[in-house]
Amino acid sequence: MLFNSGVFALFFAAFFPLYLLCRRHVAARNLLLIVASYIFYGWWDPRFLILVAISTAVDYAAALGAAGKPVRSTDLLKSAGFLVLVTVVSLAFAPEDHWLVAPVLGGMLVIGILIAVIKRLGEQARPKYWLLLSLTTNLGILAFFKYFNFFVGSAAALISNLGFDPHAPRFSIILPVGLSFYTFQAISRTIDSYQRKYEPQYSIINYAAFHAFFPQLVAGPIERAGRLMPQFETVRPLEGRLLVTGALLFAWGLYQKIVIADNLGPIADAVFGAPLGQTAGATLVGVLAFAIQIYCDFCGYSNMARGLARILGFDLMVNFNLPYFARTPSEFWQRWHISLSQWLRDYVYISLGGNRGGQWKMYRNLMITMLLGGLWHGASWTFVAWGGFHGAIQVVYRALGIDALIARTRFFTLRGFAIQGSAWLSTMCLVCIGWILFRARTFEDAVTVFTNLFATSGYSDAQFSTLLGYTAPLAVVEIYQRSSGRLEFLTAGPFLVRYTVSVVLVLTLLAFSAHGSHEFIYFDF
Amino acid sequence: MSSSTLTFRNKGPWRRGLIGLLLVAYTLILAEAYFRLLDPQPLMPRYVTGTPWGVRGNIPNARYWNHTPEVDVEYRINSQGLRADRDFSLSKPAGTCRVAVFGDSFFFGIELDVTQGFAGQLEKRLIDSGIHAEVLNFSVGGFGTAEMLRTFEGFGRQFQPDVVIFSWDDSDLQDNVRSGLYRLEDGQLEKARDEYLPGVKTLNWLMQYRLYRAIADHSEFYSFIREKSELLLKRQMRNLSQARASASASASASASDSAVPTAQTSGGEEATVEIADSSQKRRVVDLSSEILLRAREEINASGADFYLVEIPFKLSRTKFRSGVDVLPEAVRSQINVVYTSPALSKAARPDLELYFETGQGHLTPTGVAILVDETMKDLASSSRLAACR
Repeated sequence: MLFNSGVFALFFAAFFPLYLLCRRHVAARNLLLIVASYIFYGWWDPRFLILVAISTAVDYAAALGAAGKPVRSTDLLKSAGFLVLVTVVSLAFAPEDHWLVAPVLGGMLVIGILIAVIKRLGEQARPKYWLLLSLTTNLGILAFFKYFNFFVGSAAALISNLGFDPHAPRFSIILPVGLSFYTFQAISRTIDSYQRKYEPQYSIINYAAFHAFFPQLVAGPIERAGRLMPQFETVRPLEGRLLVTGALLFAWGLYQKIVIADNLGPIADAVFGAPLGQTAGATLVGVLAFAIQIYCDFCGYSNMARGLARILGFDLMVNFNLPYFARTPSEFWQRWHISLSQWLRDYVYISLGGNRGGQWKMYRNLMITMLLGGLWHGASWTFVAWGGFHGAIQVVYRALGIDALIARTRFFTLRGFAIQGSAWLSTMCLVCIGWILFRARTFEDAVTVFTNLFATSGYSDAQFSTLLGYTAPLAVVEIYQRSSGRLEFLTAGPFLVRYTVSVVLVLTLLAFSAHGSHEFIYFDF
Repeated sequence: MSSSTLTFRNKGPWRRGLIGLLLVAYTLILAEAYFRLLDPQPLMPRYVTGTPWGVRGNIPNARYWNHTPEVDVEYRINSQGLRADRDFSLSKPAGTCRVAVFGDSFFFGIELDVTQGFAGQLEKRLIDSGIHAEVLNFSVGGFGTAEMLRTFEGFGRQFQPDVVIFSWDDSDLQDNVRSGLYRLEDGQLEKARDEYLPGVKTLNWLMQYRLYRAIADHSEFYSFIREKSELLLKRQMRNLSQARASASASASASASDSAVPTAQTSGGEEATVEIADSSQKRRVVDLSSEILLRAREEINASGADFYLVEIPFKLSRTKFRSGVDVLPEAVRSQINVVYTSPALSKAARPDLELYFETGQGHLTPTGVAILVDETMKDLASSSRLAACR
């Protein structure tokens, strides 16, 4: 179910009155949220609800165990009961092809055996193994559904380059939507519990509602349990102000998605779909169009998610903070997909040693983190290369002390303006080069697109005006957001100004939205 | 936000009401200004009403305008509901042949002056070629073949035409299903209902008010909302009818032993869907084919020749898709079809507009002239018209 579809509008119209009735009772509200979230997710493919349930059931118990809390038989029964219930319901609604049943039953059996083994371990050793169980389960699901064919195919290619003839198994695996998001969120809760940064509670209903919360289930933000989970354990105030600001935030996200991203998408698709023979002008417009498309697609989704959550009385974290104002690659990552950047920083970079252990180790850690970040985006070497490229430019910036120089420079001097302006321009060029790697289907395509940029033809008939037409209003808004420090610009200023801007936003949604409901790019990640 | 909301709440009920009204007025003015400045809309007011023969007709004596970035046209409807500047007597003037034209917005002449439309140009060409002829335009925007046939039976026949021309384009297939005026029972065409008057009751009520007519004639915001709503409604109705047809096709497929193995062995779910779609398409085409054959029968029985003029679908300035190809050869061979897509393709040039590119994208006067050329070639063999030289 897409936020930008009629089905979702009907779904929400049916759900919200029920939510208003239940909202004062934590358990009833959370139960309703679980049912709604599972309907929302199951709309794509009900079979994959089982994966959400496995992750929920395992992490419910694993976080308790990892935190050193007793995992009682009743907790395991709750966990198993939840999993069985979801499995039965999802298979009842699933297509007749029940191939998932055998691996799921096998998986459940293995998990059951592992839990029995962990329970026999000494009290001191148990938390570590509960954590390992969570990591194995979540990363196992991720590895199979997202990376199995990629790794097997890459290994087979390597072996065949060595002169052998491997017969690698290939499965036609459908990537469950949002898999990387909810597994990462589940892992973070168990790690935080293990590190005693968060204390997990015993209510499986509260946890299942947090785990499957439909506004952010399929594309984040990847929330931390310490921030979001308490909101599921209390009655949240629901005021008119929250409804209005939530709806406006949703509308702004919708505008970013269906007006900007979906209208610029075809321009980028034309260039990246058939890069050979494209003119320099068309290629430049295509690359810039993609840079804006992916930003508005993902930031739009995050804003819609935050808006919906706010309407329901929940507060989700800001996931994008004007990333195209970044003056260095590090700053870009502090502003782009913030929840993932922070996840990678806390659970990969710092775990590897972070800034400790000297410069070279720091560079190594940075490179590993960014390579994994690239791989998180998709099972393809172009994504790994994209991550590597971002890691490399951050290493170079740090090695040359550019980050420190920018931090020292004051903007309101001629020298400062020149330095910061050129730093911004350089960073944007590097980010766009990165987007070529990200969007291209193959390395050959990426090289072709990059080479095309250096020709001189085709600037007169390129679609600069279309690009400008969709980008200019966004630029005006973001300059205002940057200068005023208010990301939620629709709630700023006198009433008449706010009202006028809101009406114009709605009219623009009506008049300039692209035809049809387009999927979000990040759903594939 | 909160301070303004608080201030607003603290006002008395009358002041709140007044502020609410002002806000509504402000919103409407803002919306109108938005569309005029940023996304100009063609103004296409609907001047249609019900008729005694159960389908829509143009409002007699109506006079209204259509503005798009490319054209400014005045539509004048005569007292009989025909698009013409004069009325026609029921009995034919001696020595004059009559051609009756039935169609949708293409033949009505949307975006065209009365002299530039198909009927106007055809009449001029017939007279220029030495035939004493009158061309009567019975077309109404949004018509399908079923409504054309009803209009001929209920009204057009009384004018004793020698030649009857129906238009045919892609949209007729769905229009004929949507109207539900006819249905197929065991392959036989049956009258399914007496009336098809979508939105006419509401429109009749609204048209009494001068304010509504002013808004419909001049508001780009209203025009936008109306067009979008209609499009959405049509899409939903189409989806609903497709879903119903697919469901009934699946039900009949599961009931039929022979259909199931074909669907399953040819590739599972997608193949089943494809079969359901194609069988649905066949039923839609069969319905339109039978309506056309019934029209030919009725028209010939009233002593007139029947012609079907193809209105091609524009893919680009130089590419067009034939709308007639979808009809079975067995049907086309029984009707005088005027094929116009080859001539349009031949005349097409990147710098030549055969269809308007704003508004609703109907044929330009040049495009219509090509259709008239092709029609004249076919009419040259009509013995009925030859008698009026």
